[in-house]
This record gives sequence, structure tokens and C-alpha cells, in this order.
Amino acid sequence: MTQKKMQPEDGILVVHNLTKRYGQKLVLDNVSMAIEEGKTTVIIGPSGCGKTVFMKHLIVLERPDSGEVYYRGRRIDHLSERKLVPIRRKFGFCFQMGALFDSITVYENIIFPLRQHYKITDWKAVDEMVKQKLALVGMDGYQHYYPANLSGGQRKRVALARAIALNPEIILYDEPTTGLDPITSDVINELILKLQRELKVTSVVVTHDMRSVYKIADRIVMLHHGRIVADGDAEHIRTHPNEVVQQFIQGKVSEAELEALRLGGTKFPTQFMPEDFE
Amino acid sequence: MIEILGERTIACIEEFGRFGRFSAESFRAMVHTLFHPRSYPLVLNQMNIIGVKSVPVVMATGAFVGMILAIQAYGQLASMGLEERLGVLINIAVVKELGPVLAAVMLAGRVGGALTAELGTMNVTEQIAAVQSFGVSPIRYLVAPRVLACLLLTPLLIIYADLLGILGGYFVSVKQLGINPGAYWNYSAMGVELWDVSTGALKGFFFGGAIALISCYKGFTCREGARGVGEACTEAFVGCFISILALNYVFAVVLSAVYKTFWPLRPLI
Repeated sequence: MTQKKMQPEDGILVVHNLTKRYGQKLVLDNVSMAIEEGKTTVIIGPSGCGKTVFMKHLIVLERPDSGEVYYRGRRIDHLSERKLVPIRRKFGFCFQMGALFDSITVYENIIFPLRQHYKITDWKAVDEMVKQKLALVGMDGYQHYYPANLSGGQRKRVALARAIALNPEIILYDEPTTGLDPITSDVINELILKLQRELKVTSVVVTHDMRSVYKIADRIVMLHHGRIVADGDAEHIRTHPNEVVQQFIQGKVSEAELEALRLGGTKFPTQFMPEDFE
Repeated sequence: MIEILGERTIACIEEFGRFGRFSAESFRAMVHTLFHPRSYPLVLNQMNIIGVKSVPVVMATGAFVGMILAIQAYGQLASMGLEERLGVLINIAVVKELGPVLAAVMLAGRVGGALTAELGTMNVTEQIAAVQSFGVSPIRYLVAPRVLACLLLTPLLIIYADLLGILGGYFVSVKQLGINPGAYWNYSAMGVELWDVSTGALKGFFFGGAIALISCYKGFTCREGARGVGEACTEAFVGCFISILALNYVFAVVLSAVYKTFWPLRPLI
């Protein structure tokens, strides 16, 4: 697929010819993309295709080997950590496993970004803000819990509340529904839609959960082996002629993989069977 | 063979370079922390975890060192009729070498291991990336308070170890082995100078810095998974232990040169 030349002003976030290697492995191969303001862009692709690495480049938690990242037309990928501070404050990042600070309570987790950037004088207003953010994700009343005492879904919801603590312009979600039961997944999807409607934020979601994708996406981009193989709305992706895209969205195993499974048999060399111990 | 040797040498130099940059950034962050009272609660919290909670183990280490020295050295000195000089031997060994080094080794195990495991777990669960994503420097928020607490409190902990070492040696020598207490203290006071006690405590400043920096660095760079955290803890302890011994050797050389040059001139100052 040919990629058109991106201009820094094409979107709130623009990535141009992004390339990243880890050792010999090429994780991102010349990726260019413009993310539209106020829309939800979902990045899909099989595990290990570079989705999370791509998203970490958007907030410069990773630095590209080559290529550029622009935020509102300003190049940010080469800025020092100090100069990135005001830019990162515009972002909320919801990590895959929540990444809540486990030695402090839910309340302290939510006020963490506030406390680092502002001198808090009105604690009543802060209490109210925490209550409001937690209520938005259905977790009000859990202020004094430690993350270890919460379930996976609850942790993700608290992580979401923490990500919106500084009222960000852009929220980045890294696999928000992975590992959750279907109902909790749907709650998270509804939350993403609610934040989108109520806070008018720009969202970038990395996932391989196709139910979520169809529910929340304004635009879907598929990455495969570090390259963009499809880019468009849900209808465009559903009818995309590329075999890899169709296999992924239908969750189908390829003929070659089936053949490999047949040849390998059912007993793996390292797998012990009950009779091995008799 | 030569290729592998070369690769390992380059990897080793690169690791040193990364550690050097990490240390430089940590020092910058520490200076920032010192001038920003808002960060003081973080430092005080770490001082409680690192310093206050280490007092009992460090005191126990010191006490046993003094007691064992008394038992071991008594026979040797008594055979020469010099048992009253046991105090000077125990006390000089405790305040100059054994107190600082063994207290630092104890801290490397207790504090260093905990720092690496804590920061390593934070690293693999993306908590460090989360700190960074909020526009907060992880080195300023996580490393600087820990290094400051270690730097400031290790000398104090060494003084505790020295104190208990001296008391432990005294009790075994005087109460158990029956040495004359007056002679014991007299000979000790003649042999142990303020220089010995203060250089012993000064070492603590460097030992504490080395323990905190190595442990935090290993935590920040640990590999994924439980095994990664375990390996990082082992590497941190070994690194701290070797650094303590190497620093102690450097101190022995430098301080003895300084002592020989300046201490005889002290009546003039």
C-alpha cells in the first residue's frame, strides 16, 4: 500500500516515515499517519505487530530510529524530557495492565498527575474532582482501596480515571479490553464512547478485540509486520480485499498455519502427558 | 573467540556509559530535589524505609562484629600478655573497617535488594512509563529521593554500627573475659582517634551513594518478567558488594596518604 506524504498540519498528531528497530527486528517500517482531532482512531493488528510501540512514539515514551512525530504541527520526537513536560500534560495514557502505582491508594493515584504539576491548596475541590472522575468510570467509593484489592476491570477503570485527571486533549488506550470478560469489556467500550462524547477528546486505541473496534472506531488502521496494510472506516475494513486483513477481522487461521499444526501433531515435544509420570 | 571477547568488552563499556549517564542525571535530580521543599516528603518517606527500619539490623551487625573480634583476638593477645590492649584492636577495627563495610554490606542486602525489586517491578508493570507519561521525570520522582536518603543516612547507620560494635566488644572483653575496664578504655582512647571514626563515617556517604545508584539503575534496566526482576536483584547485590570493597580499597589508599601528610601537622592548625 502506498503511503501519501504527510504534512505536520494534517492532524492533531502526525507521524511521518516512522521507523523503529529493536536489535535486528524491524518493529515499525516507515509508518506515516495523521490522527484527526476529536475522532477515535483504532489501531488493530496481530500481537507483536508494533501497535503498542507505535502508540508509545505518539507520546515520545519511545524515540524513533528515523521519522518524525508532530503534535499540532510542532515536531516533538526530538525534544528533551524537560521540553516534553507541557506536551505530555495534554495526553492521557491508559496502559494495558493499568500501571497503577501499587504502593498508594486509588485516591493518591488519581491526584498523582495534579500533585506533580500544581501546588494543591484547595483539598476540598480536589476531593470533589477525584469523586467526579471516579464517578465517570463507575468507581466512586473506591478512593481508599489499594490497586492490589481491585479486579482487572476495576484497575483499568481507575487507570482511565487517572488518565483523564488533567483533562487531556488526547487519550491513548493500550488494549483497554484485553483480558476482561465480555460485559466488563463492553463497560470499558461505553466509557471510551462516553469520554469521547462528554469531553470531546481525541482517542487513539490499540486493540485486537474486533467487537470493541466496530463499536468505538471512527477510523480503523491495521498494522502488519510494522506497516500499515489497511486504513479506513469500519465498512472499508470489512470489505477490504487484502487477505491478511480479512483473516484478522474474521479471526481465521491461515491454510499455512493449519498445515503447520497438522504436521506438528498434537503432542508438543516439551509438553508432558499424564502417562509420562506413570 | 576474539570476536566474543570484543563484543563483551564493548557491551561492558556501553553498560558503564549508561550507568554514568544515569548517575549524572540522578545527581542533577538530587540537586533539584534539595532546592524544592515540595519533594521533601518523598525523601522523608524513603528515609523512614531505608534508614529508620535498617537501624536494628545494622546495630545487630555491629554488636556481633565487636563480640566476635573480642573472642577471636583474646587468645592471641593473652599469649603475649597483652590482653589489656584488646580494646584498641577491637575498636580500631570496628570504626575504621569492619563497622562501615559490614554495615554497608548489610544495607546492600536489605535496602539495595528492596530498591531493585521495587523499581524493577514498577518497570515491568509499566509504572515507570506511567510516571513519565504524566510529564514527570522518573529519575526525579523515584531515584533522587532514594539516593538522597541512602547518602544522608548510611553514615549515621555506620555510627550506630560502630557504637554497638564498641559496646559488644566491651561487654565480651570486660564482663566475659575479665579484662580490667580502666585499662581497656585507656588503651582504646590512646589508639582510636577522631580521624578514624570520622573517616569511617565518611565512607558511608560513598557506600550509600553506590548502593542506591547501582540498585536503582538495575531496577530501571531490568528485563521483563519475574526472572528479570530476580536477575536484576542478584546483579544489584553483587555490584553493590564489589563496589563497597573496591571503594574501601580506594579509601584505604587515599586516606592513609592524606593521614600521613596532614595529621602530623594538626598541632600547627
